[in-house]
Amino acid sequence: MKDVMGLIYTGENDIRLRELTLVRAVAALPVAGRYRVIDFLMSSLVNSGMRNVGVITQKNYHSLMDHLGSGKEWDLHGKNQGLVILPPFLTRENVGVYAGLLDALKSNTGYLRRSRQEYIVLTNSHTIYNADFRGMLRQHVETGADITIMYTRDPAMRRCAGGDETAFFSTDETGRISGIEIDPTEPSRECASLEVYLLKRETLRYLVEQGAANGLHDFGRDIIQRLVNEGSMKVCGYEYKDRVWRLDSVQSYFRFNMDILDTQVRHELFKHPVYTKVRDDMPARYIGEPNVQGSLIANGSVVEGTVINSVLFRGVRVAKGAVVRNCVVMQDAQIQEGAEIDHCILDKQAIIRRNGRLIGPEAYPIVIAKDVVI
Amino acid sequence: MRKKQCVAMLLAGGQGSRLGILTKKMAKPAVPYGGKYRIIDFPLSNCSNSGIDVVGVLTQYRPLELNAYIGSGSPWDLDLTNGGVFVLPPYVTGKSGEWYRGTANAIYQNIGFIQQYDPDYVLILSGDHIYKMDYNAMLMDHIHNDADCTIAVREVPWEEASRFGIMNTDENNRIVEFEEKPPKPKSNKASMGVYIFTWKKLYQYLTEDEADPKSSNDFGKNIIPNMLRDGQRLFAYTFDGYWKDVGTIESLWEANMDLLRQPMPIDLYDKKWRVYARNPGMPPHYVAPGAKISGSLVTEGCEVFGEVAGSVLFAGVTVGAGAQVTDSVVMPHAVIERGAIVRRAIVAEGAHIGPGCIVGEETGNIAVVGPGASLGAGVEVKAGEQIDADLLQKA
Repeated sequence: MKDVMGLIYTGENDIRLRELTLVRAVAALPVAGRYRVIDFLMSSLVNSGMRNVGVITQKNYHSLMDHLGSGKEWDLHGKNQGLVILPPFLTRENVGVYAGLLDALKSNTGYLRRSRQEYIVLTNSHTIYNADFRGMLRQHVETGADITIMYTRDPAMRRCAGGDETAFFSTDETGRISGIEIDPTEPSRECASLEVYLLKRETLRYLVEQGAANGLHDFGRDIIQRLVNEGSMKVCGYEYKDRVWRLDSVQSYFRFNMDILDTQVRHELFKHPVYTKVRDDMPARYIGEPNVQGSLIANGSVVEGTVINSVLFRGVRVAKGAVVRNCVVMQDAQIQEGAEIDHCILDKQAIIRRNGRLIGPEAYPIVIAKDVVI
Repeated sequence: MRKKQCVAMLLAGGQGSRLGILTKKMAKPAVPYGGKYRIIDFPLSNCSNSGIDVVGVLTQYRPLELNAYIGSGSPWDLDLTNGGVFVLPPYVTGKSGEWYRGTANAIYQNIGFIQQYDPDYVLILSGDHIYKMDYNAMLMDHIHNDADCTIAVREVPWEEASRFGIMNTDENNRIVEFEEKPPKPKSNKASMGVYIFTWKKLYQYLTEDEADPKSSNDFGKNIIPNMLRDGQRLFAYTFDGYWKDVGTIESLWEANMDLLRQPMPIDLYDKKWRVYARNPGMPPHYVAPGAKISGSLVTEGCEVFGEVAGSVLFAGVTVGAGAQVTDSVVMPHAVIERGAIVRRAIVAEGAHIGPGCIVGEETGNIAVVGPGASLGAGVEVKAGEQIDADLLQKA
């Protein structure tokens, strides 16, 4: 996989994640107690052997850049290659803030040109999986496809919120995509695209430059869908069989965190290591006799109260007599003495004061924004 | 190489034989401590936090584990273009080569390394203790006193003073006499084995010591007494923070238990003085429904289905359903199967305790299950027993 590079696009629509993405890109969203969404993608790319990974940033990319740093946590701090962060910029040919993936790619053709790998894996940043792309490359070469798109048949992924450019397709018996629909009201095709594209780097450059020359903006509709409809390139599907999550709303964010409380699901998701920025916290401390059940607790936490069916990030404090049920509590948040929360998502450094009580409805957890004190 | 004001030399060559089975295959500084650390993380983090960015680590006994752990030094921010951490094993010159014959000889053999940085001062450390100390404050004291050597001391209880190397000082903290384990101590200032030397002076004394065939080439036995004999300026620097020698099974266990006290005698939360460690990179720990954890430290990657009380669990430990772990230290990736009982014990890295085993007793000495040892179902390990993986295989 030395001959494959990775490129992660982090500019997707995040309107339904509300306060959670007010201060950050989806890619930088904290998940699973100590990670950011992008850690899973970065780790998948690196574990598959890639040594050159580009990250196209769009808005609110400060927290993302802070998290990725030099790329050393992913062993991407090499001399000639490694991690390349690609923020938007203004030049004569460049539009500044990107209108979409195609725009972003057009602005970064220089990076595509300078890279030396034959193939490229292009991904979005709001899906969570732990894939080994070597299988995908093998299939891509064997089928002689021009473009291979990773998909899932998981019925849970056959939903479509609209406005997200979600693609669904069907394949013929050779694996070639026979028809594709984007943002349908009700998906009629069984394969949900994971927006992971594998193709030759030169092919991508050609498509991007042609697309821009023709005044096109939308990678999914104007390029992929057109190629499938015209049949001018061989576009194939590659099935990813493990569990995958798309984080496009507060509910789906919450569900992912709750899903990994299941030991089997968690073991599957972490079967290849997932790397992240290190914080050098001490181990979690249990003081006195707290009651903790069915929860994930990160280093640096201090637990004296009750924690049930919840995910606590690094440095969270649950005081004596406090009760935390069905919650996602991000780093350094505090639940003080006698407070009770249920079905809540507490963003970083949020504080629930003494004897405070916040009970969210099961269907829609309450989000407490970063640094808010209640 | 650019000049450095101070270079640290960390003596990490000792076996620490009193740690028994735990140091059979690794040097003492590599022994795990406190859920996610190894002993050497403390002096290395102290250096990093004190702004001392050249550290030579002198290894000799079983260095593999230590070398692999230190790596490029990046966990301690010691992977620098100009400086950083260097592992210094004994080496061969010409036709002969030799092991480090003593602490002073180990430094003598690495004079070349030190001189690359043309330092004014050299800090000598050991990799045997758990403590957080600002070496820079000590260095300032050394400079202020215009000292030739400054020795860090801590005041021990008078009744224990005869177990230590004791510094007798005058009213200015100048050392007038050094007594090794005095039966009738005149002072309670015990040496911590942390020295700062003015490099020119140390160079002189190392060279003289090396020329003396009767010398045992040791700082405590030779260099310090010789400097005192010659009337050099030696000062004591008093350190009053938490300091724990972890040289024996019992003291290693106790040092871990210290972290469970309220408040913690050594603050590992201090964001201004982080204790760094190589990170295992595992998901947060999981506590299953029905599990019970009280008064304990639990590290990332653990999965707890049973009961844990008053214990320290390192990264990736599994405690099966119905198992009970009490007053124990369970090192990385050990597995304690269902129904097993572990009391007052140290379960070393990668050990496997089969279902229904009983390890340790409620009283008596600490039981130890050695690194990688695997116990079948229902085995009993008595208080004070040590289980060696190699002997198990033969049996």
